[in-house]
Amino acid sequence: MDGICLELAGKVPVGSARLAGVDERALIRRAQGGDRAAFDDLVRLYDRNVLRIALQIVRSPDEAQDLYQEAFLKVYRSLSRFRFEARFSTWLYRVVTNVCLDHLRRRNTRKEIQAPMQAEGEPEYFQSIADESPTVNPEQTLRAQEIGQRIGRALARLNPRERVVFEMRHYQGLKLRAIGDLLGTSEETAKNCLFRATQKLRVELSELV
Amino acid sequence: MKCKNFQDNLLLYLYDELPGEERAAFEAHRAECAHCRQALEETRSLHQLLGQRPAVEPSPELLVEARQQLEEALDREEFGWRGLLRGWFQGVPALHASRAASVLTILVLGFGLGWTLRPRVNLPASNGGFMGADLGNITSISQVTPDPQTGEVRITLDTGRRVTLEGSLDDPRIRQVLQFAVRNYDNPGIRRDTLDALLVRGATPEVRRTLVYAMLNDPNDGVRYRALDAVRELGWSPEVRDAFLELLKKETNLGVRIGAVDFLVANADQAVLPALRELATQDASFYVRMQCIKAVRDLSGEEF
Ligand SMILES: [Zn+2]
Repeated sequence: MDGICLELAGKVPVGSARLAGVDERALIRRAQGGDRAAFDDLVRLYDRNVLRIALQIVRSPDEAQDLYQEAFLKVYRSLSRFRFEARFSTWLYRVVTNVCLDHLRRRNTRKEIQAPMQAEGEPEYFQSIADESPTVNPEQTLRAQEIGQRIGRALARLNPRERVVFEMRHYQGLKLRAIGDLLGTSEETAKNCLFRATQKLRVELSELV
Repeated sequence: MKCKNFQDNLLLYLYDELPGEERAAFEAHRAECAHCRQALEETRSLHQLLGQRPAVEPSPELLVEARQQLEEALDREEFGWRGLLRGWFQGVPALHASRAASVLTILVLGFGLGWTLRPRVNLPASNGGFMGADLGNITSISQVTPDPQTGEVRITLDTGRRVTLEGSLDDPRIRQVLQFAVRNYDNPGIRRDTLDALLVRGATPEVRRTLVYAMLNDPNDGVRYRALDAVRELGWSPEVRDAFLELLKKETNLGVRIGAVDFLVANADQAVLPALRELATQDASFYVRMQCIKAVRDLSGEEF
């Protein structure tokens, strides 16, 4: 379980998610006692990661925000049942993962299987790494965007579980064991999902490789 | 290692999840089998392609907005029954002697008008004597309990011993005392209970005025919210509309604001359009702005 925490923490830009010297256990206890300020502090410890995971998976700022809220409300409502048996971060990321999974399932049943396109007027939400590089040539940018969209569509055709496993392993860098733990399943199942996802992506993207 | 095993382990190898000894066997097979080498390179280039999907990092604006919306959602959450109870029974403000005294005085005066006293005690000949003996020691109201069946209301007072006043909600004098208590008594829980007691016999014009007064002026968030709920149940009228517009001008509690905006938006007519427009552009709450933008759009077809 600790693996999850370390892996995700490794991805966090320094200083963004760790408040120096915070006694997390004490914060949780206070939040469990109904202290809103303590809960807010707890949110601030992890919320950038939570938002990144959601954004990475749904790629729509509005939806990511909804998932962020849904996840934290769930945590808020069930915090009193948290018994310190797992790390808080593990517990939180489990909630987030399941919220994302449920969201993808709902989306699939609504037959909205296309990857959401970046809506006009919202690009400021995305700080894509490419945009920050000082020497971008417009054609390259366009090509990169197209490739990005193709990949997005291919990912959107995976089933929700394959999608989440692939995102977590390939883009978030989590170990399969940790992913199995987040999903409440085995490492082996996570591995099989990853295999199937890769196989489907290979077919979908064959002409680009 | 056989080719089949190699293919099975290919992804684990690329993700660096292959244990040491298997990794060595994998690399040995790679060195000797061109076919498997090719398969590895193919998957590697698929991975490189997938790596071209731009990584997303939530922008600071998105994070701020998400936090703000979460705050509002948590506020709404706190306005569930648990939160409300907390609001009523916690932090009862220090008793302002003069105000408390004046409410009690009114009660005592009311006693002569319509209240009966429980348990029956050996009353001195006159009310005046009783007041000197018992009601003079009253320090606070501990309970206000209406009985919807009989229309009786019971007020329990803290004195040296437990004293209960009973009166009829149909008696205008009793109602007057209760209305006075809603507006002036110091304990918000008692103000809320008194409000509820008043509502048992329906919203007469005077009770309506008291409700609106409490919604606009009560210092306690929970009481204002309860009053708002009751005013909402009165239904839409110019009087109610004006009360809500006034409320939105000065209300600072987000839960109460949201309750008010929801009601206003649900009943929006041309008369509230200017106010909605203003809220849509200027309100500090994202939720309020969104609701108002929607309502203005529905009402006038205007886009923001
Ligand atoms: Zn081979």
